Amino acid sequence: MRLGGKLWRFRPALLAVLVLVTLAPTSSHAYAGPGAGFAVLSSFWTLFVAFLYSAYAFVTWPLRHFLRLLRRRQSSGKAQIKRAVILGFDGMDPELAQRFISEGKLPNLAKLQQQGSFHKLRTTYPPISPVAWSTFMTGVNPGKHNIYDFLARDEKNYLPFLSSAEIKGPKRSLKIGKYMIPLGKAQVKGMRRGTPFWYWLGKAGIFSSVIRVPVTFPPEKFEGVLLSGMCVPDLKGSQGTFSFCTTRGGDDKFREGGVRIPILRNGSTLRTYIPGPDDPLAEKQGRELRAEFEIRPDTVKQQAEIVLDTERFTLKVGNYSEWISVKFKAGLGFSARGIAKFYLKEISPEVEVYVTPVNIDPSRPDLPIAHPVTYSIYLAKLFGPYATLGLAEDTWALNERVLDDDAFLAQCYSNHHDREQMLFDALEKTKSGLCACVFDTTDRVQHMFWRYFEEGHPAARESNGSKRPEVIPDLYRRMDDLIGKVMKQIDSDSLLLVVSDHGFKSFARCININAWLHQNGYLALKPDKTESGDWFEDVDWSRTRAYTMGLNGVYLNIKGREREGVVRPGAEAESLKEELRRKLDGLTDPDSGKVGITNLFDCDATYAGPYVDNAPDLLVGYAAGYRASWDSVMGKITTAIFEDNLKAWSGDHCIDPREVPGVLFSNKKISDEKPAIVDVAPTILKLFGVALPGNLDGKAWTVA
Amino acid sequence: MRILKAQAPLAIVIVLSIMVGFLMVVVFRYTSNQRAIRIAKDRLKAHLLAVRLFQDQIQVVLISYWRIVRSTGTYLRLAFMPLLYVSIPLIFLIVQIDRYLGYAPVEVGQTFLMKARLADSGSLDQVSLQLPPGLSLSAPAVHVPAQNEIVWRLVSASRGRRNVEVAAAGQAVSKSLEISQGLKRVSPVRLRDRWWQRIFVSGEPPLSANSPVESIEVNYPERTIAFAWMEWNWIWLFFVLSLIFGFLFKTILGIEI
Repeated sequence: MRLGGKLWRFRPALLAVLVLVTLAPTSSHAYAGPGAGFAVLSSFWTLFVAFLYSAYAFVTWPLRHFLRLLRRRQSSGKAQIKRAVILGFDGMDPELAQRFISEGKLPNLAKLQQQGSFHKLRTTYPPISPVAWSTFMTGVNPGKHNIYDFLARDEKNYLPFLSSAEIKGPKRSLKIGKYMIPLGKAQVKGMRRGTPFWYWLGKAGIFSSVIRVPVTFPPEKFEGVLLSGMCVPDLKGSQGTFSFCTTRGGDDKFREGGVRIPILRNGSTLRTYIPGPDDPLAEKQGRELRAEFEIRPDTVKQQAEIVLDTERFTLKVGNYSEWISVKFKAGLGFSARGIAKFYLKEISPEVEVYVTPVNIDPSRPDLPIAHPVTYSIYLAKLFGPYATLGLAEDTWALNERVLDDDAFLAQCYSNHHDREQMLFDALEKTKSGLCACVFDTTDRVQHMFWRYFEEGHPAARESNGSKRPEVIPDLYRRMDDLIGKVMKQIDSDSLLLVVSDHGFKSFARCININAWLHQNGYLALKPDKTESGDWFEDVDWSRTRAYTMGLNGVYLNIKGREREGVVRPGAEAESLKEELRRKLDGLTDPDSGKVGITNLFDCDATYAGPYVDNAPDLLVGYAAGYRASWDSVMGKITTAIFEDNLKAWSGDHCIDPREVPGVLFSNKKISDEKPAIVDVAPTILKLFGVALPGNLDGKAWTVA
Repeated sequence: MRILKAQAPLAIVIVLSIMVGFLMVVVFRYTSNQRAIRIAKDRLKAHLLAVRLFQDQIQVVLISYWRIVRSTGTYLRLAFMPLLYVSIPLIFLIVQIDRYLGYAPVEVGQTFLMKARLADSGSLDQVSLQLPPGLSLSAPAVHVPAQNEIVWRLVSASRGRRNVEVAAAGQAVSKSLEISQGLKRVSPVRLRDRWWQRIFVSGEPPLSANSPVESIEVNYPERTIAFAWMEWNWIWLFFVLSLIFGFLFKTILGIEI
């Protein structure tokens, strides 16, 4: 109990003393300590600064308003709407939405369908979130925005790199003894090209609030506020690396997404650590920083006290902590700071603690995650710390069974709750202009819970716990509730769009295209090898003509482009592409006799733009129920071409784009027959009366 | 040695500022709802940032300013009780310190005024002053009937604590005088009644309730402390230094104020 609580009962006496002191001040008791000094000074200082800010805003507002009107007159025609609200639900499927509407589970979407519009929204080739959302914001095809997958390949070494952003150390550093002191900040370079439509809105004096739209890291300058979404890295620079601290022996490693850290016993206390980013002071890269912490288990109460630096908190089994500040000390006063949540999985007989990837702290971001930089700080101060990692829902931890279904769902909906708060704040702050927010929960939950939704899914056989077929319908119902709350804030001058980047289908069977290429003589392994390691270890490039990496792309080993290319560009390459298309199109699953691949798309014919050369040569259009195998994605050649997908990640959309259109709901009538995600940008610009830039591929819809 | 003696008040103020800075933030930590204070401060900062981020939207600016005022109120409410706990003992500590650092004793050869206030102006002519050896009047007494006061100008020939006796209406009361250099506890006034004021300004027992004299006051010179090229009243110096040390300790200990 706080001392304050005990003293509270003496409040009248204390109050009386204070009143007396106040009424009879003399110089000797005019000051009542540093606490009072801080309270009074900081309060007055805050009010003073706020007053200055407000006064500045008031005094300059007429001028700024005038300038904004001038800009609008110069660059725009008559606006049809005052405000556009775009709710993005990553992966919301039109067939499921229609089904649940018919079952009466989604009253708000049903209302939109009746009073406004509901269409399937044609997606991108391939139908992958970073590709589709890049097209959504730029209004151009991938040949113009340069995003074809999460990963791109480096022709020089056949290794992958993140397609959306490149993070490098500071340009200069100073060597002092054993230390290499960085001079300046890390360099972050965005790889997505094309211009988001909110930039053009800003040029026309229209304010935008943009929250967690994928591939907005690093944030670009424009007139408005933006919080970056998918592709924001964790503090390690990865797309999310969880830590699983355990006393259980064994050195089995997680293939991806996490690291297993041993917990060392020392009497009744246990010590372990969270691996952090590389030491910025180390001469050679690869020496990681660590944040050590202590676990004090209490088996009777089924809880543990965790002591991390100055943080100390108690966790019950099966519960998450709040966001905890994690500091990685590098020496010489250098440190990296992030936030993480802890989850106590087990306390007895073994101790197991899951720690989320260490997110960039939004209140003190080490990398730029918002525009202006103060926007992430503003949100953190208003609502408390929140997940900043692009892929904040830890699907890998559920795949690896480090988290169970309930723990994963709790994590998803906790993040979703934070996002909802941000959305409603943005709606309040953006009474005119654009308010766009993307929710990832729809994508992550469908990925991980499709196994229960579909009868006979192979991944459900592996599940130890109870089947949860209600999770996906419940997900749609929750999103419908959110849409209902937003609809209450929409007036007749506002446009509401509910969009998704793609739909969803089952992922029951895996196809390893690399294995097929190997078995059909297009990809060669070194002598005596029948399988390869990850990322083409043991591949003989001098005898390899084609390979695949990532989710849908097939690359030819082109001479002069790839380091050890053997296929001559031009006729030979075209002939090889045609041959592969002929052979792979209609590839049949020997177990079921079903077609696993419905089409192969030639990227030269699919894309147009200055970055077409960075695209794969072919895109594989998998049939519903199939997808690239986990090994194939990571450049591994196995003996099996087809196999069951046994992972919790059991639904997917990286298939033939025609199979997985997204949704388009609107509160207004949209008369176009076949709207596409590429049309969103020109439509919004047109509705605000802003002149369309010349290079857009989409066409504006007719909105009544 | 003389330099050390001269710097003693400064040293006391610095040590006191460190101790008070430390103790006050620790007491504040355990008597306050730290989580609520942190949230209140964070909200305050958020609304402040909102004014900057959404400055083109005058409605948002107005609402944010109102929220800043409201959040300031919340913050002050949360800080009020903990401040009460830390302020009261501190006030009494300051009063005691002020006896030493607020005034300097009278030095040998230095003239000073002593003023007696009587309950009844009719007794002014009957007031007499009895001085101990080494203390003498340097001017005749001045009567101020409008104020019921009589004022003497005195000078001392030697050091030491003395008692001066003031007799009126057949009763004699005394007042202590400190004639010296350096740090001494001085009481600038002796009072009848006025219990509350006595606590804060008098270092002597009260005059008896039926005494014709209400107060006897000595105008000791106010002490100043040289610090950072300025002459400071010790309270102001203590205010600044304890704030600085308090800020350091709150940062080191991670305490929200």
